[in-house]
Amino acid sequence: MRNATLNQFYGLLAREIKKTYRNPWIIAITVVQPFMWLAFFGSSFSSAPKSFLEGFFHTYSYVAFLLPGVLSTSMLTVGMFGSMSTIQDKRFGYMKRILLTPTDKATIFVAKSMGSTTRGMVQLPVMATAAALFGVSFPLNPVLWLGWIAALFFLGLGFSSLFMALTVASTDWQTPGVISNFITMPLMFSSTALFPQANFPAWMRAISAVNPVTFSATFGRTIVLGGSIDWTLLAYLALFAAMMLFIGSVMATKWLKVE
Amino acid sequence: MKRSDTAHTDAIDCDAGAIVTKGITKRYGSFTALENVDMIVPRGTIFGLLGPNGAGKTTMIKVLTALIPADAGSACVSGHDVRREPKLVRADIGWVAAEVILDDDLSAMENLWLQAKLQNLSDWKNRALDLLRYFELYDRRNSRVSQFSTGMRKKLEIALALLHQPRVIFMDEPTIGLDPGTRRMLWQLITGINREYGVTILLTSHYIEEADALCSNLAIIDHGRIVATGTPSELKSRVKADIVEIALNYEPDMPTFAHMDGVQEAARTENGMRLKVASSESVLPRILSCLNIDGVLKINVDKPSLETVFIDLTGKRLSDDEGRMDMRKFYATLRMTRR
Ligand SMILES: Nc1ncnc2c1ncn2[C@@H]1O[C@H](COP(=O)(O)OP(=O)(O)OP(=O)(O)O)[C@@H](O)[C@H]1O
Ligand SMILES: [Mg+2]
Repeated sequence: MRNATLNQFYGLLAREIKKTYRNPWIIAITVVQPFMWLAFFGSSFSSAPKSFLEGFFHTYSYVAFLLPGVLSTSMLTVGMFGSMSTIQDKRFGYMKRILLTPTDKATIFVAKSMGSTTRGMVQLPVMATAAALFGVSFPLNPVLWLGWIAALFFLGLGFSSLFMALTVASTDWQTPGVISNFITMPLMFSSTALFPQANFPAWMRAISAVNPVTFSATFGRTIVLGGSIDWTLLAYLALFAAMMLFIGSVMATKWLKVE
Repeated sequence: MKRSDTAHTDAIDCDAGAIVTKGITKRYGSFTALENVDMIVPRGTIFGLLGPNGAGKTTMIKVLTALIPADAGSACVSGHDVRREPKLVRADIGWVAAEVILDDDLSAMENLWLQAKLQNLSDWKNRALDLLRYFELYDRRNSRVSQFSTGMRKKLEIALALLHQPRVIFMDEPTIGLDPGTRRMLWQLITGINREYGVTILLTSHYIEEADALCSNLAIIDHGRIVATGTPSELKSRVKADIVEIALNYEPDMPTFAHMDGVQEAARTENGMRLKVASSESVLPRILSCLNIDGVLKINVDKPSLETVFIDLTGKRLSDDEGRMDMRKFYATLRMTRR
C-alpha cells in the first residue's frame, strides 16, 4: 500500500513537471522574468547616493537586498499553477481518470503542491545567475545554499498548499486569480521582501513578524549579504509547510470532487 | 459502525454477478437521477444499458465506480462493496469515457506509463507494447496524443482501460462520434476483449444496432428507472407490432385512428402521432385514406426491432440518424442561401 502511494505520487508529480517544461512559453518566461525584476527594481535606486542605500537597506546593492525578497515573493504565487492545473484537470475530465484508480485524494493534492513548488524553485538558479550578472557576489558554502534552497522550498510548499486548499472545491478558472489577489498583495507588502521593516508602521510590523515571506526573505538575505544566520527561521518555514500540507490534504480528501 | 456495515452487506449478494445493485437511488437536489435501480450483470458478459439522453446512464456508471455516492441502496462491483471498498473496486475496473479523456501533452506511451503508476503496476511495459500493437498504435507510441485522430484516441483510451487487466470495464457510449467503419472495428475489439480475457463489460449506448450486435443482456433505462431487462431477443419478442410515426402540420383526429381496425395503440406526439399496428402493410392504406395528404410531412415505419421496443417503452427514438439528416439539410440550405 505504501509502495502504491509512492508510485502514484511519483507518477503525478512527473506528469506535472513534464507538462510544465514542454511548454516553451513557460521556459521563456521563467528565464526572462527575473531579469526584468532585477532590471526594473535594481535600476530604480541605481542613482541613489551610496549613503542612502547603506542607511536604508544596509547594503550598497539594492539588487543583493532584493534578490532573496523577489524569490520569496515568487514562491508566494506558485500555488496558482497548482490550482489552475487542478481546475484544468477537473474541467477536461482528467481528474476523473485519476480518481478512477486507487489513488487517494491527498496524494493528488500533495503531488500538485509539490509540482507547483518545483516549478517555482527553478527561479532560484536563474535569478541567482541574473543577480551575479548584475554584480552580486554569493557565498560559496554549500550548506548555506542548501539552507536557502530548503527555505524557499518550504515557503513555496506552504503557500501552494494554502492556495490549493482554498481552491480545492472550485471548478472556475477565475478562482485562482481572485484568491491570488486576495492573499498575495497583503503578504507581499507586509513582508520584508521589498522594503526593510524599520520603515513599517507598528501594525504592519506585527503582521510582518508572523509572515512566512518575512522569514524566508530575512533568511535569504543573511545568506546573500552575510551576517549571523538564524536557523530557527528555517524550522519555522518547515513547520509552516508541514501544517499547510496537512490541512490541505485533509481538505482535499473532503472536498476534492470530479466536477 | 460495525453493525451497520453488516446490515449493509446483508442486503446484497456480491457474488451474484460482476455487478450487483439493489435499490440504487441518486438525487441531484430535488431531481431524482436514479430511482431504485436493481441490476445484475452476470460475469463475463457484455451488458448494455440503453436509454435516451438524460436517462441516468452516466450517473449509474459514476455510482458504480464510486465517483459519486448513491443516496440509497448498495452496489457491488467485482465482488467488492462500492461504498466500503472503493479502492479495491477501482483497482479492478477499467473505464472508457464518452468524452475521450487522455493527457494531450503526453505521448501514448507516457499516458500508459502514468496509468501504470496510478494502478501501481510493476510489469506493465510489455503488456503496454502488446496493447499498442493490438490497437495499431505502436508506430505512434511516442507521438503526443494531441496529434491523434478521434479513432486513435478512442483506441488508446481502451488500451489504458485494459492495462491493469481489470475484471470489469465500464464503457460510456464507446462508439459515439466514430465513423461506421471505426465503429465496426471497435465492436470487434470489444467482443474480442470480452472473449479472450473474459472481462465483463458494461456499456451504455444510443445505438440500437450496437446493443444488438454486442450485448448478451440489456437493461433499458428511462427517467432513472429500469423499464425493461432481458436478452435482445427476449426484448424483441415483447413487441410484435410495427410502429408507424406520422409527422403532420395539422391536428389529427385521434379517435378515428385509435378505433381503426389493426391499430393497437394511437398516441399524439409533438408534431403528429405514433400508431402501433399489427401489420403496417395492411393498415397503412387505411391510415392514409383518413389523412389530409397535403398536411403529411413525413411517414416512418419501424418493423419489430430493439428500436420499436425502445420507442414502445420510452416514447422516444434512440438512434440519432434523423438528427444527422436534418443537420445535412441545414448545411445544404445554408450553402444555397450563400450562393
Ligand atoms: N452534477 C449534476 N447535477 C445536477 N444534475 C445532474 C448532474 N449530473 C447529471 N444530472 C442530471 O441527471 C440526469 C441523468 O444524467 P446522465 O448524465 O446520467 O444521463 P445519461 O443517461 O448519461 O444521458 P446522455 O445519454 O445524454 O449521456 C440528467 O437529467 C442530468 O441533467
Ligand atoms: Mg451520458
